[in-house]
Amino acid sequence: MTDLLALFVQQSVNGVYLGCLYVMVALGLTLIYGVLNQINFAHADFVTVGAFAALFTATRFATKVLGLPDTGAYLLSMVAALGTGALLGLAVNAAVFAPLRERGDELRPLIATIGVSVIIENGQLWLFGPIPYQFDSPFSRETIRVGRIFFSMQSALVVAVSAAAIAALYAFMKFTFLGKALRAVAQDRETAGLMGINPNLLIAITIVIASALAGVAGALLGPVLVLTPFAGASVIVKAFAIVIIGGFGNMQGTIIAGLLVGIIEAFTVQYLGSGLIDLVVFVLLLVMLVVRPTGLIAERKEENV
Amino acid sequence: MRVRIVSVLIAILVVAALPWLLQTPYWRGILVLCAMNVLLALSLNLVLGYTGQLNLGQSAFFAIGAYVSTILIKSYGWSFWLAALAAVGGAGLLGLALAAFAVRLRGHYLAIASLGFAVITYQVLINWENVTQGVRGIYGILPPVRSTIGLFYLVAGIAVLVYVLMDNLVRSPIGETLRAIREDEVSAASLGINGAVWKAFAFGVGAAIAGLAGCFYPGFVGTLVPEAFNIVESFTMLAMVIVGGMGTMIGPVIGAIVLTFLPEVLRDFGEFRLMIYGLALTLVVLFMPGGIVQAWRALTGRR
Repeated sequence: MTDLLALFVQQSVNGVYLGCLYVMVALGLTLIYGVLNQINFAHADFVTVGAFAALFTATRFATKVLGLPDTGAYLLSMVAALGTGALLGLAVNAAVFAPLRERGDELRPLIATIGVSVIIENGQLWLFGPIPYQFDSPFSRETIRVGRIFFSMQSALVVAVSAAAIAALYAFMKFTFLGKALRAVAQDRETAGLMGINPNLLIAITIVIASALAGVAGALLGPVLVLTPFAGASVIVKAFAIVIIGGFGNMQGTIIAGLLVGIIEAFTVQYLGSGLIDLVVFVLLLVMLVVRPTGLIAERKEENV
Repeated sequence: MRVRIVSVLIAILVVAALPWLLQTPYWRGILVLCAMNVLLALSLNLVLGYTGQLNLGQSAFFAIGAYVSTILIKSYGWSFWLAALAAVGGAGLLGLALAAFAVRLRGHYLAIASLGFAVITYQVLINWENVTQGVRGIYGILPPVRSTIGLFYLVAGIAVLVYVLMDNLVRSPIGETLRAIREDEVSAASLGINGAVWKAFAFGVGAAIAGLAGCFYPGFVGTLVPEAFNIVESFTMLAMVIVGGMGTMIGPVIGAIVLTFLPEVLRDFGEFRLMIYGLALTLVVLFMPGGIVQAWRALTGRR
């Protein structure tokens, strides 16, 4: 019985660790949806670009050129991934979301970003080839043991970084003027504009923040993922499931749903096999769409960012 | 009316002449592929272009058509046409299942639900190894007609037939009903249109046509693996419809032809077929929202 309990706790710990990573990705989607009412289909591809940027920063630049130790190189690679994600966000906003916003069609930006996703994935295929990359984090080697539960230093780092990022984002939204302005734009773009807020600038800021989060998530996910140019396809599937389950545009809901999906994934791997993860997650998504399409936490507009 | 009959006759003549213009087996193979893509683009256009429902799950119906027909032929010894009938029916029924979601969901939610539909189908094909052989795939599948030219005439003939039937459908009151749902579902409902029934109709018919295209795919390639029905195939169909011009009859046909031949013409980039699709999709949405058809109309000054 205690074995079973230990296993249960162990898998829950693994699940929370995965869940934290998914929350970072899904929060970006939710943020953009909250402010812009649009989906960036290429969002998860920013995660893979971030992962590749981190990988090459750590292995080619930080250790070889700067002569940093492994741990320092990995931490620097996270910064590089953050910057890469932010740049991608800036680019996708300038190229797709900003020009299409005036035309006011609901589905065109989504379709355009599907194209962007295909471009990024196949661009990476061209640059990096189809063979999976080995992304070793120096923190994966150290294991921490608490009672009968084991976890790697990497997973502790992941939980710490994502918790910090989520807390910072939350504080930004709740307590800063810019965050308040963002929520105002989310509630009513035109009225916010009348109050002297520049909605276009705020939308750009939101997309950049969301994409930077995706980039960092890439640096953290890199050692977990099978890092191929198409890794984003599997991540976007889970991110969509999380935002739908949590309620689109709802931050708290997304965090809860992200952890939930992480835990479900951990238990699916344990009991059903890793091949069935996408299947289980998306069946859950479809059930959710039928039973409760507004998500776990019903939409309350004023907290919708 | 006369114009339409003449254009159909011209289309039939062009289709008949094509294999004699492209003599090598390679190009004749591309022709078969092109005819299949035309069918797929037509099937998606009915749902996306005429009914206004962003369906990212079309690859699932293509897959069902391919797998159901192949398994019935190989494991149960059915004849091709009987198996094709069952496969088309199966795909149509699955389309109705997706329509059950479309009745409740709109816009982005429907897009994600339909994407989920395609992901689940793809995962079932991989994991249900007893029936589908999983990633190992099914080998040695024979086409219904042995020669490539014959297969091309068969699929292209069906594509022309589907085109004519769908052209009549969208001109009929049913077509107007579908367009009314696309423009404004609430107003359509206030005119007494039952949105649920007609969305189900569009999804069902669209899925059945995609399933029909799927029946010819395994025999043409000779093998059947789940990878051929990755969700990205839904995006290639989307690209064909958007690039050609959605919501017009001829647009998706042009889109399918252009996007089948463009990667072949740009041989050096042939490996990056999907890259071309992605670029075409994004650029057309950004700079040419009505696709090739609208651009052509603007150039020739016709509406």
